[in-house]
Amino acid sequence: MQNQEGQLAADGETEVTCGIEDWANFGGGGDGDVMQQQSSVPFVGDKEPLSALAAEYQSGSPILLQKIEMLGDKYVAIRRTRGDGNCFFRSFMFSYLEHILEKQDRVEVDRIKANVEECRKTLQSLGYVDFTFEDFFALFLEQLDDVLQGNETSISHEELLNRSREQSVSDYVVMFFRFVTSGEIRKRSEFFEPFVFGLTNTTVEQFCKSAVEPMGEESDHVHITALSDALGVPIRVVYLDRSSCDAGGVSVNHHDFVPVPGNLPSATGAGSESIDPFITLLYRPGHYDILYPK
Amino acid sequence: MQASRARLFKEYKEVQREKVADPDIQLACDDTNIFKWTALIKGPSETPFEGGVFQLVFSVPEQYPLQPPQVRFLTKIFHPNVHFKTGEICLDILKNAWSPAWTLQSVCRAIIALMAHPEPDSPLNCDSGNLVDVLFV
Repeated sequence: MQNQEGQLAADGETEVTCGIEDWANFGGGGDGDVMQQQSSVPFVGDKEPLSALAAEYQSGSPILLQKIEMLGDKYVAIRRTRGDGNCFFRSFMFSYLEHILEKQDRVEVDRIKANVEECRKTLQSLGYVDFTFEDFFALFLEQLDDVLQGNETSISHEELLNRSREQSVSDYVVMFFRFVTSGEIRKRSEFFEPFVFGLTNTTVEQFCKSAVEPMGEESDHVHITALSDALGVPIRVVYLDRSSCDAGGVSVNHHDFVPVPGNLPSATGAGSESIDPFITLLYRPGHYDILYPK
Repeated sequence: MQASRARLFKEYKEVQREKVADPDIQLACDDTNIFKWTALIKGPSETPFEGGVFQLVFSVPEQYPLQPPQVRFLTKIFHPNVHFKTGEICLDILKNAWSPAWTLQSVCRAIIALMAHPEPDSPLNCDSGNLVDVLFV
């Protein structure tokens, strides 16, 4: 695992196209596999109809085609992100900011800002030097303010997409999420320890240093849980793989990452009513994209 | 470019503050170019490097701190993870394990730690690596 990731980071942009045949080889549990894409894929792609996804598998696994058809019942579109190891964070970034831009949800913005301040305190208490993370925090907070309309600096959807494709913004926001994720895992190390150990056989400290903080390191359920908890944002992940039930029936599974209430400074009002995540990601072994519900 | 400059300036101020706190490291920025730094580090005690002072040169890329600084020894050093001729250092945080949580100062600390605890399994200087393997089996 370590070696594989090392190679990935070292290779950087030299990615190769992955054919349909290769996809057919991806089993259900190949989480370590990397979906490789041409570097021509922007950090965040255009919104495409779900049929674009089906087209990828035209001569591929019938199970996948069947599942994509089933996805069509609930979802209308997909937005791809570059498979550079940052795809989870990048998908989350765009999906979250797009939601705020479209809904103009100021209550949510105030809520997440309070969580961001908590994350800042977490990093400080863990001994991080302020200047190592403050620029990344500032840039994320700036994007939050800019997607809210009515300010001098307000931006359009088109500009949000442009920024998400521009390295100086996009990578800084990804890095902000990496800091937040790392801080959360370390703060609750006793909780995350068994998961981390099961995943990489290392300590929480080593895991954060080598698999969370460096750019290009892929995300797993540990990262997603930590980010969702730290920011208090529920995330739905829909799994598209070749697995099927024993009975032969095919269904598309999803998992909702719901923030732990105790970790939410402002979660007093929400109670335990069912939470419907407004961020939905499509997971194929080794890669995350954004899904759009109907 | 602007972001890296701003970050390096913060590091510069921090270095001025930390000078007393860490007497083993003297980090200095080039007078005319904030992307060029040098450091003098003391060889760690109870190692063959004790009593020595070693000079490092830093070349900081424009994408810093998303990308790591390039660091090498200017002083000749016989160490498994340092190239004897070029001074190049084999250290994960200077490559794929880099993150912006590191600073030039903490990189110096990591290099001092590497001097005290060589990794003979990933040698840049095979003779030195083999010697460590032979001596410390």
